[in-house]
Amino acid sequence: MDDNAPSRATATVGTQVTANLALQIAHNLRFAHDWTELRIHYEGFSGSGSLPRPVISGLPPKRLYVHPDEQIELLEKQRKQGSTKPLELAPEREWVLPSQLHEQWTLGRFAEVFDALDAIPSVTSDDRATGHVTSHWRTEQPKRLLLATIDTDSTVVYYVLHNGIVKPRQN
Amino acid sequence: MANSDAPTVSEPFPIFELANRYLLYDVNTITYIRAKYNIPGVLIGGLPQAPQQNVFSGIPLELMPEEARLLCEKGVAYVVDDARAHKQGFLDRGLSVEERKRFAESLRKQGQAAASKVKEKAEDKKQTALRQIASGGDWNDLPEDMLKPPSRPTSRAANKKKAGRPPLETGGLDEDESLFASPMNSFPKPAPTSGSRVNPPAPSRGLEPHTVTPTTSYPPLTAAPPPLQSSLSTSRHYSLGVDNSAASARLPEAPSSYPLYKDLHEKGYFILPGIRFGCKYMAYPGDTLRFHSHFLCNSKEWDEEFDMLDLVAGGRLATSVKKGWLMGGMERPSKGGAGLNKPKVRSFTIEWGGM
Repeated sequence: MDDNAPSRATATVGTQVTANLALQIAHNLRFAHDWTELRIHYEGFSGSGSLPRPVISGLPPKRLYVHPDEQIELLEKQRKQGSTKPLELAPEREWVLPSQLHEQWTLGRFAEVFDALDAIPSVTSDDRATGHVTSHWRTEQPKRLLLATIDTDSTVVYYVLHNGIVKPRQN
Repeated sequence: MANSDAPTVSEPFPIFELANRYLLYDVNTITYIRAKYNIPGVLIGGLPQAPQQNVFSGIPLELMPEEARLLCEKGVAYVVDDARAHKQGFLDRGLSVEERKRFAESLRKQGQAAASKVKEKAEDKKQTALRQIASGGDWNDLPEDMLKPPSRPTSRAANKKKAGRPPLETGGLDEDESLFASPMNSFPKPAPTSGSRVNPPAPSRGLEPHTVTPTTSYPPLTAAPPPLQSSLSTSRHYSLGVDNSAASARLPEAPSSYPLYKDLHEKGYFILPGIRFGCKYMAYPGDTLRFHSHFLCNSKEWDEEFDMLDLVAGGRLATSVKKGWLMGGMERPSKGGAGLNKPKVRSFTIEWGGM
């Protein structure tokens, strides 16, 4: 770790702490939210060096995020098929960035994390076996990750963080 | 770009600075910058017809310092210190004697025109009223049978009156009737008097001109753009030139969030102040009258620390009003490639994860 750079997120929290934090979030994802194929990443993509802190990737039980334009496309498809219930969407692997409520963050640290991450978490062997294909919606949009923030009472809240300007969903 | 029916405004146009507010008074300019430069501003003027309400305001339009600065940076506007210009123009004899005389004369003419207009209108009104009375019974457009007393005794009373107007011979019934009858009966008498009173003086005696209180300083003052750009680097302060010092090439001071504002504006967003949602700006994907806003925007310095709680609160608020919480700031130039690529604004959007 580069201890001389005070702006790094690791400077505020020790490495051991961030590792434990990641583990705790991973447990919450696995057992409270039924995520599967969880992994904890310590290295950035293609040898870009170590991540500012460990980042989790995993597969949620159902699609976590649908871009509003994709939603429009899906609704049109649904209308063409004449079906009344919404189309099934395959879940996509997501990045999860663990953080604590009492931490201080800066734009620079978010940028640092995003710059070290691939657009999409690396495809596991399981994904390949099921013929998993990443949609163009994912690759054309700015990178995204799920920001997990944990309070001292172990409540975890999850927010989608986009690396850029992405219009809001129509809830 | 501007629609064909949008007014054309000659650039650069003046933005009036008054008590650290940037104001526009001309509705054409207001429409123009909205159509052409995607700048809505905020209307802050009270409406004379409905002074109590504050939902729909009128001119003047207040511009955020960011908006004023953007327009100045584009070179399509310049800032005029309103108080100073007024003082120079009127108190410091910035206007020549000639100009003052001409202005006073034009005011007097305006007053005279107004007075004669009023007179003319009153005359018109009177004449039409008289003509209607003269032309018959339906002088106020009521059905005739309403005016003509239906019962015999009253009609007799009316006839009596018409015949010779016998004084004080009327009984109780007739007194009731006089309510309706009097205008018709009194017609012959007032007509000549009113004519004699009104008609002769109009041509003979000159009208007393109305006093006009000028509500604008432009005219008589003329706003001239400052000497352009040449002295931009040294023009942090007002230039102390002789005639033109109220207008200056100085750029309005904008808050530190200006880079984010400019970036969003360049991307085509309409920006309004965000106080209603507890943020700095609201970003609309098009004209604010046609669209809901997409983002609640906050600007941060690249290394400015913020609490996660703010982010959670903002993200949750924005999602609950179907918007995104946007945080952005000017990227700190990297140490290695300094000067190679100029620093750009980088933004992050936050939405509730739904889990």
